[in-house]
Amino acid sequence: MADKKESRRDGLKVEAVNPVDGSTVEVFISSDRMQAVGRRSMAHAKECGFIVPMILQKPTAIFEGLRRDEDEDRDVAGWLCYCGVPPHAYHADGTQRDPFPNQVYLVFVNENKVAYNWRWEEADPNDAKLPQNHEQRFKKRAL
Amino acid sequence: MNAVSNGEFAKRMMLLARSADTTFKPTATYDPDGDCVEFLAKPDTFYAERIDDLVTVYYSQETGEVIGSLIKSVSKFCREVLTKMPGFRIEIHDGPVSLQHIFLARLWSANSEPDDMATLTYRKLVEVSRETTVEGRLCFA
Repeated sequence: MADKKESRRDGLKVEAVNPVDGSTVEVFISSDRMQAVGRRSMAHAKECGFIVPMILQKPTAIFEGLRRDEDEDRDVAGWLCYCGVPPHAYHADGTQRDPFPNQVYLVFVNENKVAYNWRWEEADPNDAKLPQNHEQRFKKRAL
Repeated sequence: MNAVSNGEFAKRMMLLARSADTTFKPTATYDPDGDCVEFLAKPDTFYAERIDDLVTVYYSQETGEVIGSLIKSVSKFCREVLTKMPGFRIEIHDGPVSLQHIFLARLWSANSEPDDMATLTYRKLVEVSRETTVEGRLCFA
């Protein structure tokens, strides 16, 4: 158990935009998460290495809180979802390609400012820079 | 600890990827920062779609097939399942657990119709997780 706690402190911080005032804050990415992603494929590693910091620093929107009561574990102050459209995506072998059409990239940051998940999702059909169903899904648009 | 530059972060990530075993193995990883289990059966890049409050499904960007999932609020879900269905403790212990049992638990505890999209997606996840035989580690703290 002590080893696990120790490993969770290992990791790197990257800069992110603060939705409150546009200043810069630091977001932590754990070493465990980086290693898990790095083992998957070069495409996954590049998404983490190149796209995640870009979305955190130049998001098209930041959302705060989830609407659904059942998600109370995520409905805590400080939980954020950063959204953006990267300039490129990656094939499974890691080679660069155009971004996936009609999709946005989301990075989820918990209340401790830890980015714990990131992924492509379908975009809003009326605004390609926002995720589908964002109005029903999130409590508040913070940026 | 100060934030690293984007270049340094990308470099560290590439080093991790290059030093990793190149043979992909299906994985299920519990992440305490998100209290979630992420399951991935193939190395394809994916897009995600929430099917309900518990599970987000991962679809291959290349083929469109189901290749994984993110199970959220895992601790809370397991506590609820064990309250509703105490017998499930036989399948869900405090430790490694076959992912198909988590999906089955959700299927059995939900009041969804057999032919609705969420049910069909859960059945697909049961199938994919059974094929890969990966296990997730659950936390009941």
